[in-house]
Amino acid sequence: MTTTPRPGDTPPPAAATDPGAPPPCDTPPVPAPASDVTRGDAAPGSRAVGPDRTDGATEATGVTGATSGGPAVAAPVAVPGAARPAPVAPPKRQPTARSRVTALRVGPRAAVTLLVASLLGLAMFCWPLLVPPQPQGVAHAAQAPMLFVVLLPIILAVVLAELTEGGLDPKTLALLGVLAALNAALRPLGAGTAGIETVFFLLILAGRVFGPGFGFALGATSLFASALLTAGVGPWLPFQMMAAAWVGLGAGLLPRRPSGRAEIAMLAAYGAASAYLFGFVMNLWFWPFAIGDGTQLSFDPEAGPMTNLHTFFLYTLATSAFGWDTGRAITNIIAIAVLGPAVLATLRRAARRAAFDTPVSFAAAEPQGARRP
Amino acid sequence: MSGDRQPARPGRRWPEPTWPPLARSLHPGAWWLWALGLAVAASRTTNPLLLAMILAVAAYVVVRRRGDAPWALSFRMYLALGAFIIVMRVAFRIVFGGGQGDTVLFTLPEIPLPEAAAGIRLFGEVAAEQLLGGFYDGLRLATMVVCVGAANSLADPKRMLKALPGALYEVGASVVVALTVAPQLIESVRRVRRARRLRGAAGKGRRALRGIIIPVLEDALNRSLALAAAMASRGYGRTGGADPRTRLITGVLVVVGLVGVCGGLYGVLDAAAPALLGAPLLLGGGAVALAGLVLGGRRVRRTGYRPDRWRPAELLTAGAGATTAALMFLTAGVDPDNLYPSLSPLSWPELSLIPVLAVLAGVLPAFLTPEPPRTAAPPVAAPRPAGGANGPGGANGPGGANGAGGANGLGGANGAEPRKEPVA
Repeated sequence: MTTTPRPGDTPPPAAATDPGAPPPCDTPPVPAPASDVTRGDAAPGSRAVGPDRTDGATEATGVTGATSGGPAVAAPVAVPGAARPAPVAPPKRQPTARSRVTALRVGPRAAVTLLVASLLGLAMFCWPLLVPPQPQGVAHAAQAPMLFVVLLPIILAVVLAELTEGGLDPKTLALLGVLAALNAALRPLGAGTAGIETVFFLLILAGRVFGPGFGFALGATSLFASALLTAGVGPWLPFQMMAAAWVGLGAGLLPRRPSGRAEIAMLAAYGAASAYLFGFVMNLWFWPFAIGDGTQLSFDPEAGPMTNLHTFFLYTLATSAFGWDTGRAITNIIAIAVLGPAVLATLRRAARRAAFDTPVSFAAAEPQGARRP
Repeated sequence: MSGDRQPARPGRRWPEPTWPPLARSLHPGAWWLWALGLAVAASRTTNPLLLAMILAVAAYVVVRRRGDAPWALSFRMYLALGAFIIVMRVAFRIVFGGGQGDTVLFTLPEIPLPEAAAGIRLFGEVAAEQLLGGFYDGLRLATMVVCVGAANSLADPKRMLKALPGALYEVGASVVVALTVAPQLIESVRRVRRARRLRGAAGKGRRALRGIIIPVLEDALNRSLALAAAMASRGYGRTGGADPRTRLITGVLVVVGLVGVCGGLYGVLDAAAPALLGAPLLLGGGAVALAGLVLGGRRVRRTGYRPDRWRPAELLTAGAGATTAALMFLTAGVDPDNLYPSLSPLSWPELSLIPVLAVLAGVLPAFLTPEPPRTAAPPVAAPRPAGGANGPGGANGPGGANGAGGANGLGGANGAEPRKEPVA
């Protein structure tokens, strides 16, 4: 991809002595190898010691960034991000083992964007049912799906950009990448054999543990990475990404309270429902393309929505509901019931180690900090 | 182009024009533009002869110019998908056709369904018009799919990720992580299984599944945290910090754009709405949202490592696709009859000159572009740890090594990685 500009050709001996490196800090409650990263909106929760110095470091390192050459295993160095000299405030809440973490915080602006874009996406999926029964609608209906194929990638890009608008925590980014890789590797396992679709169970469990924003991003990146790995890029990809992103988002929005067996039962039920819904919307979008017009099961722009819904229902029954969708639902239920508890525990342990919600406090940097410009 | 005027920087200069040109892989965007041009051309006709020509052109260019990377082998899959689309359409015409058309080819026994199924009857008379209509439509869609498949097998997806706008930098980086980690998972599975065998737990079934999946998951998650630590220690996650005004403008652009798309969507779907409310508003809203995306991307300051440049071969490839599409549009205004062969009365499809020339323009990249590099004779490359399925053509930082340190593979995170100076 791309690189950050580096100040010189020779790497500095160690990141800690790099003039561009941020000051070392101590993060007492973090057992993870790396300490947390404070962002502008997370600043109220952080206890900044020596604010002037931290701020100066922020400006100094704004462009150059730290370069490699330091030890591969991270020294406990925090990158203050857009940290501003924040007033000393106690942390708002300490994450407990049971509460969910928020690996990807969805701000109000991102939430609005997500909502509008989801509505738009839903309309683009369901357009065959939304066209009013008018004879002139024919010309429009022919042109609409092509426009949607062009527009949905843009909408998806905008939403993902808004979700990561404040910059993405490296831990979130790495988790997103690794889980997407797992999903992409799981996907070909069952492809082609009667709808055994193995993408969703890890997506649902991860959405449950890491929150709705992370679930949305994970759904989109999983399918994207999978398409790149197995070269499945096509006009259908944005639609698959959007639908899978909704599955992850919904898993993150499930009620928090259930735990233990109730939680597994809830997730399995959600897995079954989302499998059918995923199949439904994907089918609905592809229906006019799959069989064209001129059959009795075809989309008819001049008929009303209810007639079309009926026709579509028959089409779904005839093509995919029993094979693919049911296979997908059963896969989800079995995978979540069998592997769910262990996978949830593993994911929660990783979330605890990553310490997403832990506030970071900056200590005054000693000798190295004094040489700072 | 500017490189020629700067002889003081030999690294930037284009190589001396040689023939045949040195093997290199083209900019992925050029292949995508070329393929989309062909796909647009295919969308403008149902003439099976023209569509077959487009298919042949796409397949020929793919065979001549694809590398030996894993994604290059995917063209077959798209051909199968295209065949499936055609078969599906024709089969649906036979089963659910409802007996439209005059030239009845054969008659199958009818099966009337109950009233709940909207009075549909299965099978019945099968007419030639029906079958041909399904075949033409299916062939058109299949050709478009195959064109997309051609781009898939010609363009390097990892280099495509470099072209993502800045606002998607983080998401793109995590996709790069995913692409890099995925091959390592296989190795992880192998390690876990060997450890299980050494312990004598050679069981199968449920317990074995859990005994493999959970350690692999744990391994992957630990790896991700180590990667994050390595990235953080290298200063990753330092965005330049957009000023509040830019953020405000970005937000306004994005929201206004999306609302515009909403309005346009309504206009497109409701035929009674004024024409201006339709496609123009839809695309306008998309453009505004895109502007917000670009503006929001300015907070990410980054430079490209060996950026992909547009050279004459790239321009020629993209131009060939654009020519095909443009000539096909031109023909649609002049001579529309041969583009859509008549079904009633049935007639043989015919070819006219301009569409044929249009399609033939698309084959030029097969001859006029440099050959793709082959990994069979690898150039001097630094030995790399496991993973990284890219050959020397992968000029991308991300694909490669991702060993103990983790972040090494991420070109996005660090520029000062001395091992990453392969063939210039």
